[in-house]
Amino acid sequence: MEEKILTKNFGLENLFKIDVYIEHKGYEAVKKALEKMGPDEILKEVKAANLRGRGGAGFPAGVKWGFVPKDVDKPKYLCVNADEGEPGTFKDRYIMTHNPHLLIEGIVITSFCVSINTAYIYIRGEYEAVALRLEKAISEAYEKKFLGKNILGTGFDLDVYIHRGAGAYICGEETALLESLEGKRGNPRLKPPFPASIGLFDCPTVINNVETLSNIPFIILNGAGRFCQVGLPKDGGTRIFGVSGMVKKPGIYELPMGTSLKDIVFQHAGGMKEGKKLKAVIPGGMSAPILSADEIDINMDFDSLVEAKSMLGSAAIVVIDEETSMLDVLALVTKFYSHESCGQCTPCRIGNSWINKIVRRIMDGKGNKKDLDKIEQLANNMLGKTLCPLGDAAAMPILSIIQKFRKELDTYLNN
Amino acid sequence: MVKIFIDEKEFEVEEGITVLEAAERAGLHIPHLCYHKAFIPQGSCRICLVEIEGLPKLELACSTRVREGMKVSTRSERVIDARKGVLECLLAEHPLDCPICDKAGDCKLQDYYEEYGLFDSEFKEYKEKRQKKIEIGKYLVHDQERCVVCRRCVRFLREVTKTEELGVFNRGIHTEVSVYDGVSVDNNYSGNLVEICPVGAITDKDFRFKTRSWFLKSESSICPLCSRGCNIFIEFHQGFSRFPLPKRVYRIRSRENEKINGCWICDLGRYGYSYVDNERLDKIIMNDSHDTAGWPELKSIIAKKAKRLVLEKRTAQIGLILHTWLSNEELFLIDKIFRKDLKIEKICFLDPSPGEGDDFLLTTERSPNRRGAQELGFDLQSCDWAHFFDKLELLLVFGSPLLEQTDFSPLKAGLEGIGTKVLFASHKHGIHSLFDIVLPMSVIAEKEGSLTNVDGIVQDFSPALNTLGECQPEWKFLLDFAKKLDIDLEFFRSLSSPKSIQEEMKKQISFFEKNSE
Repeated sequence: MEEKILTKNFGLENLFKIDVYIEHKGYEAVKKALEKMGPDEILKEVKAANLRGRGGAGFPAGVKWGFVPKDVDKPKYLCVNADEGEPGTFKDRYIMTHNPHLLIEGIVITSFCVSINTAYIYIRGEYEAVALRLEKAISEAYEKKFLGKNILGTGFDLDVYIHRGAGAYICGEETALLESLEGKRGNPRLKPPFPASIGLFDCPTVINNVETLSNIPFIILNGAGRFCQVGLPKDGGTRIFGVSGMVKKPGIYELPMGTSLKDIVFQHAGGMKEGKKLKAVIPGGMSAPILSADEIDINMDFDSLVEAKSMLGSAAIVVIDEETSMLDVLALVTKFYSHESCGQCTPCRIGNSWINKIVRRIMDGKGNKKDLDKIEQLANNMLGKTLCPLGDAAAMPILSIIQKFRKELDTYLNN
Repeated sequence: MVKIFIDEKEFEVEEGITVLEAAERAGLHIPHLCYHKAFIPQGSCRICLVEIEGLPKLELACSTRVREGMKVSTRSERVIDARKGVLECLLAEHPLDCPICDKAGDCKLQDYYEEYGLFDSEFKEYKEKRQKKIEIGKYLVHDQERCVVCRRCVRFLREVTKTEELGVFNRGIHTEVSVYDGVSVDNNYSGNLVEICPVGAITDKDFRFKTRSWFLKSESSICPLCSRGCNIFIEFHQGFSRFPLPKRVYRIRSRENEKINGCWICDLGRYGYSYVDNERLDKIIMNDSHDTAGWPELKSIIAKKAKRLVLEKRTAQIGLILHTWLSNEELFLIDKIFRKDLKIEKICFLDPSPGEGDDFLLTTERSPNRRGAQELGFDLQSCDWAHFFDKLELLLVFGSPLLEQTDFSPLKAGLEGIGTKVLFASHKHGIHSLFDIVLPMSVIAEKEGSLTNVDGIVQDFSPALNTLGECQPEWKFLLDFAKKLDIDLEFFRSLSSPKSIQEEMKKQISFFEKNSE
């Protein structure tokens, strides 16, 4: 049985209540970090753990924290990205619902490490019940003095606030998240400057995903070595794989980094539903380039997927069977990005809409041979040329679907 | 200074500037729509992407800072492809109604299509339908279909006027710039939006459908409507040979001057130009006789009368009413002739009534040269009219072009019984009938000279428009008049133009030497 970091105690009744959480070694990591370790030691440990960001980009968390300037007289902020909007992704929801105190522990340790006294959890607007549970957990943590003034008598203060989003996918992009949190229209900012130096309210800001922060307590309690042992030396820990689509047992599976995609689909998730044949897999949320059935013998870690010209992203695995039309998949993708483009920059605003209009036309039976080339050209107009990663996120799946399933797509076109 | 290479040419440029700024300074234009020098780069139009050696992606010229040894390519195949991609997208959703668009001829989208495109549209889908005629302010009409969402207007209202009447609404392809509910773009600087809009999305009600921009000629001038001295372009139509037009000037645009007005002008300056063509006086009027006389004779008559009064030591019977639309040079001549040489003391100023100002550019003064008059030692304080009109025999009144906005009530009572009353006026006005002679004068747009703005900056201006009918500039009258008076001949002989007057003025008054632009 592989070691679990995040979902280990998910089976316990009322784990979301602080008393139950504390009974099972909860808040030990906060005590250790604040009482026995200093900020430098924490940072060293997290860097050594090679904890890569679980939001999608996979940037090492320790390195990110290290970018925050030490000698500034401005306040610093932590923003927890809980705007889980990547289609297919539902892992953070599980963590926050079943194990909210694990996240709070991660927030306290991170804030202590980077000298932050205010943290915001930017949570997806649709997660109302989750936000309520998190709210409850936060007030429990305040009662037990794990939050608020003078935490554990160390003199460290931390306030945590929840902010609910209003339903825009783009607000999961870190700088759009900051804008939205500031009360502005959720549009991504031009980088540089990066949030580590100029972030929320123009102050140094750390932005981490829920799952990323939830790994911190384990690293503190068990050390970077153990964390890397669980996962891979250069890519420590586990991932919560959210499997959906045409499998027998959809759901979340916490498995070591580098677990084979084939095993996840055919063993952990029980294999294909109704004995259907596998056609394709989206390995890391909708933005990740699609893998065809013959490409799934692959290890699910950041580098292996980059090598396969896809990405691990949010580790949301969408399984597509032989009976699903790839035109429907393409239509779903293009409709989503066309709807969610923030409208700020030209290639994404108009490109995604144009692509979507072409796909709709093909679905109406009015497609012609040139249409797929045009879609590819428009997607290439976005790839690497937009203001924020949304352009890439749209272009990559579109290009990969056309490239890998062109034969099938051609059958929908008129001569 | 750092050394950079743009399209394989080497340039020495200032450290810290952007690639786009460096290229502009080297005379190379990198296309841009959302970038405007007055605002923080936004990087949203994506048309300024360039290739920088060593970097995998194309980078924004508008926000990337130059580095020593940087090698920038602004015309590589990758760059041109990206640029075309942006243009293709913008044009796909653009109404392409250039034939009825005021911006045609001035439009960046048109220019870039000519330069990088001339491709056929591959857009076979339906275009989004949007509002095409929203009155977003007293002077402005907004066409959302033409908008490229560069947000220059939004940023102008946020960063410059801080009034924030416009915002961005909706998302994706439905993204639109629009006014907030119940608000109208009616601040003093709204007209600048038309100028900074790179396309025809915001047009000017005043200019809408009046002419095509390519018929207009543009000349530099100084705005005389307040004392800020904003630098402007006067844009005028020279008319068609068989189809004369009722007016010359069609619009005023801002001319950049970092020291004075930046890139902006106020709406009063932009839309208050109609005085240049409307109700202009272009003929000499003689109310007391049926004779007609030309300029030379009238100059002689007035000079003779003045000379006689001076010789009879009756200088207290000569009165002069001035205004501060007169240039530094004209006021300098008046000072020399009337105060220094003829020793006339009755000199009063009657300027257009002050208006409302703001804390940005617009001042309360409605004339451009009060500061110049002060520097020349004139007293601009209100006048003791009873004393002024007492036993007056010769009255010369210089009237500013804003006669309508000038309070002449103190004059009307005093004019009775004065022997000779002369009015110098650029415009027709009811007050003409009270004078014996009315002489047609040029306005600043037709003259040459200099003005001193509220902060003491002396700026030259030259004629943007031709002289109208029998009009003459005041400096010309004054020079001829001085010569007819036979005073200080040696001094006046050397003067023949505003330039030579200015040289003399600078010699005598160091203020004008020191503060010239």
